[in-house]
Amino acid sequence: MRRFLALARSATLEALAEPLSAILFLVALATVHLAPVFHYHQFGEPGRLARECGFSALLVFGLVFATAAAVRAIGGEIASGTAAAALARPVPRGLFFCAKIAGVVASFALFLVAIAAATVLATYSSAIGAALADVAEGPVSRIWTPGLALGILATLGGFVAAALLNRFVRARFCVSACLLMALAQPLVLCLALPLGQEGFASTALLMPWNIIPALVVLACGCCVFIAFAGALAVRLKPAPTAALVAGAVLISFVWPIRFVLPEINRFWLVDRLAAGGALPWGEAGMAVAAAVCLVAFWLIAGSLLLQRRELP
Amino acid sequence: MSVEAGAQAPVIEIRGLRKTFRDFWFRPVAEAVNGIDLTVERGDVFGLLGPNGSGKSTTIKMVLGLLAPTAGSVKLFGLSPRARAARARLGYLPELSYLHPFLTARETVMYYAGLSNLDRKTAKARTAELLEQVGLAENANRPVGGFSKGMARRVAFASALVSHPELLILDEPTSGLDPIGTREVKELIGRLAADGLTILVTSHQLFDMQDVCSRVAILSHGKVVGSGRVADIVAAAADKRHALEDYFVARLGAGQEGAK
Repeated sequence: MRRFLALARSATLEALAEPLSAILFLVALATVHLAPVFHYHQFGEPGRLARECGFSALLVFGLVFATAAAVRAIGGEIASGTAAAALARPVPRGLFFCAKIAGVVASFALFLVAIAAATVLATYSSAIGAALADVAEGPVSRIWTPGLALGILATLGGFVAAALLNRFVRARFCVSACLLMALAQPLVLCLALPLGQEGFASTALLMPWNIIPALVVLACGCCVFIAFAGALAVRLKPAPTAALVAGAVLISFVWPIRFVLPEINRFWLVDRLAAGGALPWGEAGMAVAAAVCLVAFWLIAGSLLLQRRELP
Repeated sequence: MSVEAGAQAPVIEIRGLRKTFRDFWFRPVAEAVNGIDLTVERGDVFGLLGPNGSGKSTTIKMVLGLLAPTAGSVKLFGLSPRARAARARLGYLPELSYLHPFLTARETVMYYAGLSNLDRKTAKARTAELLEQVGLAENANRPVGGFSKGMARRVAFASALVSHPELLILDEPTSGLDPIGTREVKELIGRLAADGLTILVTSHQLFDMQDVCSRVAILSHGKVVGSGRVADIVAAAADKRHALEDYFVARLGAGQEGAK
């Protein structure tokens, strides 16, 4: 277990220490929080743009962040020699592979927490903003709600706090930035709960909580691609691995590669939440179960490939 | 073979070892190791010497189980190099100090302590002791990505020693070090050998190896072209100061004649 934790921790740190990770966290959170600003684009429902922005951010930015981290954690370590240095210890190769992927999934979970909290807050703020615009006298181009302001402040505040920590206590900037930006999101969501707009009781009951399980289902689908990218990176260089993963994601929108890669549409449950729709729990459960099986498949495949891989 | 049985076996036993690298189409590209026989006994400081491309690092990687031999066998404490029980008893310093640049010196040594399954309390104590020993206690909390080559080498040395290994494998330990760093490494090898550690070391620095090795083998084109006890080589030499260098040049010359 100590070996597993040491390897997983290094993979998580490596994933968050990349400058690209901090940029992806910042861009993804800014995209989600700024969605309510464009309240004229409601797609027939207040908050829908913000909600779909959150899901898209997880799928696009999250998948780029996590698959790049998986390629670095496996392929990068093999190329740089750190994998050989680790595997010269009493570390089974299968354990090395699974622990590295687990570390990357942990960093992706941090991304999920940030996006989930930001999406709930942005969807709620968007709905409140649209309602305020309806009752406002005269044309309104922007509606700034306290939730929206808090979300943007939390994101920028996390970035600035990371810079200060780096300046004064030499904390790793990118790791601190990712952690602080991500952890600030659930914090401001909690702060936003008692904040009410005039005429709108902002309570926990009104928050669109069903977004969170739907995002978790999508994240499970993404985890299959993380394990897939890791398995490919055992044998391939980063560029062909990235190309194959990108191709597989695109293909998975059109038709599933049965028993190997998931059909993304089955994990994309955001449409079911439209117009106050309920999450189809049975369908969500099936998708999660399928994702667990496919992740296990790619973990076994990656471990077997690494068993036979020479480390010159 | 059990670990107890392995305790009686030579630390490293290599028989008829061959390694042929192949390309994508499985065509042979290079014969890196071509039928090596070696035995490293307990307490030896064994020098594996040879010019660039002679097969030293490839041999070491087969001893570590990182490369699979094309033919022949390697036994580590009487076990397969892939056996965890065998690898739990060794420390490895690679030719280049492969370190995670984002980890601090302390985290790096703690990481390798974790990989060696040391509990947290022991790992912390051992890390502090080793960083002190290699002169990096004051830089323990700096990321190793910002270290000089010599400092990174010391971190790698501390990482290799963290699990109290019985066998230490050093691939070019003085590579990239200045004269003071080289002397410190030689002194460290001497201290570890005096403590009874078995050491397998590769190097180009013959003058340095003469001081630290008890036995040597000279490799050329993947073959052992000469081997013996350093004390015997020095005793037989006219120029005692350059005895190993003269022996090395003579054996390489003989090896190349043989190859022709």
